This record gives sequence, structure tokens and C-alpha cells, in this order.
Amino acid sequence: MESGGFGSINKSIAMLSLCGVMLIAIIYGFVAYIEPKPTPLQGFTAPFVFGKFRVPVDNPLTQEAVQLGRRLFYDKQLSGDNTVSCSTCHLQHLAFTDGKARSVGVSGKTLDFNSMSLANLMWGPRHFFWNGRVDSLEEQALAPIQDPNEMAQNLDDLIDELEADDVYPGLFRSAYGKISAENIARALATFERTLISADSKYDQYLRGELKLSAEEELGRKLFMAHPDVKVSLRGGNCIDCHSQFLTSGFNAQFDGFSNNGLDTEALLNPGLQFTTGQVTDRGKFKVPTLRNIALTAPYMHDGRFTTLEQVLDHYNEGIRVSDSLSPLIMEADNQPQDAVNIRISLNLNEEEKRAVIAFLHTLTDHSFITEDKFSNPFDADTMPDA
Amino acid sequence: MRKLLSMSVASGLLLTGAAIYVYQVSQPGTVRMRFDAVVGNKPLVFNDARYSNPGGAGMFRIRDFQFFISNIDLHGEKGVYRVPDSYYLARFDNSSTSYQINLANVPRDWYSAVTFSIGVDEVANGSIMSVGDLDPNSRMAWNWEVGYKFLLFEGALIDSDTIRPLVYHVGFNENRKTLRFNLPEEVAPDSSDALLFTVDVLALFTGKNTVDMAALPNVKFDRDDARLLAGNYGTMISLTARP
Ligand code: HEC
Ligand code: HEC
Repeated sequence: MESGGFGSINKSIAMLSLCGVMLIAIIYGFVAYIEPKPTPLQGFTAPFVFGKFRVPVDNPLTQEAVQLGRRLFYDKQLSGDNTVSCSTCHLQHLAFTDGKARSVGVSGKTLDFNSMSLANLMWGPRHFFWNGRVDSLEEQALAPIQDPNEMAQNLDDLIDELEADDVYPGLFRSAYGKISAENIARALATFERTLISADSKYDQYLRGELKLSAEEELGRKLFMAHPDVKVSLRGGNCIDCHSQFLTSGFNAQFDGFSNNGLDTEALLNPGLQFTTGQVTDRGKFKVPTLRNIALTAPYMHDGRFTTLEQVLDHYNEGIRVSDSLSPLIMEADNQPQDAVNIRISLNLNEEEKRAVIAFLHTLTDHSFITEDKFSNPFDADTMPDA
Repeated sequence: MRKLLSMSVASGLLLTGAAIYVYQVSQPGTVRMRFDAVVGNKPLVFNDARYSNPGGAGMFRIRDFQFFISNIDLHGEKGVYRVPDSYYLARFDNSSTSYQINLANVPRDWYSAVTFSIGVDEVANGSIMSVGDLDPNSRMAWNWEVGYKFLLFEGALIDSDTIRPLVYHVGFNENRKTLRFNLPEEVAPDSSDALLFTVDVLALFTGKNTVDMAALPNVKFDRDDARLLAGNYGTMISLTARP
């Protein structure tokens, strides 16, 4: 009796565990089936002179995510009234800016800021927006969607819309799994990470494929040098803030933010102070990339300059003094300074100013603004442009 | 029977314990170095004109101060351990105005001295590869032709109502200074204390030669000026005396 009883218990335990194992196997199989297995992006490269880059571990670069992100970027469904997409203010042929002094979104109200070019976003400051208020592209992506003046979209409504769409459920399933605000942000960020501009004349020069013209070469030298009258070195001191290969701000901490003398103390916009709370950061702004700069007018955070000539005039003779003004700008001068009456000026001559502008034109990358992979996918397929 | 069993268990445990111990003491560990910044006998405070011009009139403020520490060697009983790719950009704009280096995977040994350079060796200085904290797109990059700034000091000198920018960018291969510190006590990896160093920012202007900031408000590409400041920064780091 006793042993028989034990025997049957043993048997049922065995049966039960068998069932358990099978159940686990079935669940596992199911999960493995629905868990997406996106394909790592093939052939993704960047010039070594750009330096190291980091992709978040929880958002690797995959083909499916890029495809989804690209579609979202160009889709007007992302705005509350379906009239505005990211690309409204970030147009490929303008290196992902909008040509306006300050952008305009669904509300029709002019925003406070000039649209920013989206190129080589994995390098340079790891803080986004002119005042550096967000630390990742994922975090950035949800800001314009919800901003009442930009796209004025409620995220829950957006998720409902995307779920009801013919295409998105499948795209999300293969890239991430479900449709969520987080995954929308991840996909947009992934697409933006692929926007690499590395085939300008300057890049070709760096790769040793061509020579710059004499004027461009003079401009390059001036761009890359802080002037020193003591050793007769002439310079435009641009490299003090715009790094030599990326031409953007520096990536360490907030080193890529600076006050380049646009306004006097009284008129200074808070800038980085908004983000750090430090008074000493008042009037500092993100040093933007100068890649494709000839295409991204108007210039500066409020679009105050319409031409590169005006920008050069600003650096050469238009600097306004304030407390956080960069000492490098105050000090940079191609003529011996008068120790008592300091007049801030680079004192470049007209030929030199033109040369710097000629160099800036070598940063234009035609393949970047015509690259198919970055273009509007709705133009290519039959999807109605909502 | 019981006795024998417990005895063998006990000795087994002991043996494993001993083995683990031997294994652990032969494993590499971490050596930490901490650099605390001061300005003469005052604490370092950024963006505040609280320090006197050492060689003349006026008060100065510091907006940025950073320099490269490179080629760290630890001198032990078994030999010299060269820390691979050791290029560190020391900066002090944090709440404790200190900079800490954690050297991981340091071989087990008793170390009695440490050497390192202020600046960057000639090979790395002539390269545009990103190694350690070396980054040709960073603010320490000078330009392609001359390599890195070894030390950067930016600020302003304020005298009555004139504000003069101060820009000291010191580089050039000849200005790399290699310093040696004999440690008061030998250290082994994973010991609880960091090696403590004091960095005196003021020594940049008072070390070997006293500098009047009004007379020399900037140092960049002039070799003599750069040499003068490099002579001074060669004296700015010392071992912190333990209380
Ligand atoms: C109404 C115009 C407008 C729309 C729509 C818009 N942006 Fe922008 N974008 C801007 C402006 C203006 C800035 C700078 C704003 C600021 O600094 O506050 C900016 C900044 C950015 C930046 C920061 C770049 C940098 O270097 O810091 C990124 C990234 C970006 N936008 C991506 C997007 C994405 C993704 C979308 C769609 C989800 C989008 N934008 C929609 C106008 C727009
Ligand atoms: C002290 C740092 C600093 C120096 C030196 C400097 N810049 Fe800038 N630059 C900035 C900052 C910061 C901005 C953005 C300012 C803003 O909009 O508030 C900027 C913006 C620009 C823009 C406009 C970019 C855009 O997308 O709107 C151009 C063009 C430019 N700089 C070119 C130059 C050139 C050419 C030089 C050398 C003659 C130079 N910069 C020197 C910091 C600097």
C-alpha cells in the first residue's frame, strides 16, 4: 500500500513535470516567435577622424528600426492635425533645416528658435537643442511631437492612430515588438543616427583624394588656428569652438556650449543656464556643426544672420561683450592689442574673410542631401501623403 | 567515523579557503590616484575673481583649467608596470574640485613609486587617433600640425574696471614634464586608500618664475613663453601630506 501510493504520486509528479516542461517549451516557442529578431544594420561606417561613437545598448542600429524611423520622420500623422512631420522643419535638401529664421509648426506661431541641421548627431555634444536641455536623441524625439506649437500630438492618440494604420503594426512588430511612445522615440533616434555627412570636399581632402584651392586652403588654415601676433600666426580661431574634423562643439560635458558674442548682457537669452541653472552659463549655446553650412541659412539660434558674410562680419567686428563671452573670442586678434583700450576684433582682412567662407563651402556634401536612404519614403511608394 | 568525516570536511574547507586566498592575492586589482586642486593656500573656485595676480596688480578668475596626465608607470618590487593607453584629461570643474583615475587590472605587487607626465608623448602628440582621453575633435586639440595643448587655463584679469582675457594654452613636445613621486609607504592594488596628489593651480604663475598676468596675459605659440609656463607647471603637483 505504502509503496504503491508513493509509486502513483511519483508517476503523477513525473506526468506533471512533463506537462510543465512541454508548456514551458510551447510558451518559449511562442515568445521566440513573437519576439522580433531585427537585422543588424549592414555596412554602417563613419570616418575614423570623427572619433568613437556610442549607440545605446537598448536601441541597436537595425535595418527594421531605420526603416520604421525614416517613415515616422516623414509622416504627418505624427502631428495632431496631420499637417506637420519632422521633415517640415528638417528638409533633406537643406541638410535637414527649414530655411526659416525661426521655425513654424501646427500652431502657426513662430517658434523661439532656428531649426537645427541633423547631421553626424552621434558626435559632438551629447546634449541636444540649442540650450542642451535633453541628453539623448530618444528623449529629444518625443519633445516636438508633443509641443503645442510644433506638432501638438497626444502620445496616446498617436499610438491609437498608428495601431489602426495598415503598415505600422507590422513595422513595429519586426523592429521592436509593440507600438509605444518609447519605441516611436527609439525608431526616430535610430534613423537620425544614420544621417552621416562625410563626403564633402573637405572629407575628400582629408582622405587625400583632392587638393583644396589656394583660397580654400588659406581659409582652412585660418579656421584651424587661434591667432598669435607674437609668432605672426594669423587665425580666425574657429577651431577654438568648432572642432577640426566634425566642425561641431566638443563632446566632453558642456564644453560644446559657448557664448560667441551675439548679444550684450542685457539682451542675453538664458541659453545653457536654462539647463544647468548656473548663472555663468547664461548666453551659452550649443556650438552647431558647420557641415553643409552653406545650405543651412539663416544662421544662429534665432536665425539673425542671413548670409555667411554676415557671420564673418560678426566674428570679425561685431562681437558684443557680456560676462560669459568666451575669453578666446575676446583675446583672439590678428593685430597687437592695445592693453588699455581693448576693442574686440579678429582683424582679418577682406581676402581672409572670403577665404574662410570659401572653406565653409567645402563642407557642403551633395551626396548627403541627395542620398536615397535619407529621403522621403512616401515619395517612393504608393502610400497617400496623409 | 564521524570524527574522520568532520576532520576531512574541515581540512577541505581550509584548503579551498587557502586556494581562494592565494588566487585572490595573485589577481590584478585597482590602484586609484586622486588629484585635488587648490590655488595657493585657497580652495579652487571657478568664475570668481578672488585670486591676486601673483606678479602685479589686479585679481584673476579661472573659467577653465585642465591638463593631460599621461604615461603612468608604477614602480614595484617585481618591476615597472606601464599603464596601457594612459592618457587622462584632468579637470576639476566638479563639486569636490578633484580628479580621480582608477587604474584597473594592475598586477599584484608592492609599488613604491609612480611616474607620469604632464603633457603627451611625441608619438601620440603627432597622431590623430583617439586613444584614452586623446581626441582630435576635443578642445585640447590645437590643430593638426602641432598636436595637443598639454595644459589649458582660461579666465580673466580684473583691474579696477578693465577686464582682460587670460588665455594660456601650453603645448609643444619639449614641454612634456615627467614627474616622479616616491610613495611614503608601498602600496598594493585594491588597498583602501587612493594615492593623493595636490595640484596647485597658482604654481603655473609662481613655480620657477613669477608671472605678471597683466604683462603676459596669454601664452600660445611663442616657444619661450610656453617654456616658461611649462617650467612652472612642472612644480604644480605634489604628494599630499597625510595628516
Ligand atoms: C516646427 C518645426 C519643427 C518640427 C516639426 C520638428 N523640429 Fe526638430 N527642431 C526644430 C527647432 C526649432 C529646433 C531647435 C529647437 C530648440 O533648440 O529649442 C529643433 C531641434 C531638433 C534636434 C536637436 C538637434 C541638435 O543638434 O541638438 C533634433 C534631433 C530634432 N530637432 C529632431 C526632430 C524630430 C525627430 C522631429 C519629429 C519628431 C522634429 N525635430 C520636428 C524644429 C522642428
Ligand atoms: C567661442 C566659441 C566660438 C568661436 C571661436 C567660433 N564660433 Fe561659430 N558658433 C559658436 C556658437 C556658440 C554658435 C551658436 C551661437 C548661437 O546661435 O547662439 C556658433 C555658430 C556659428 C555659425 C552658425 C551656425 C548655424 O547653424 O546657425 C557659423 C556659420 C559659425 N559659427 C562659424 C564660425 C566661424 C567661421 C568661426 C571662426 C571665424 C567661428 N564660428 C568661431 C561658437 C564659436
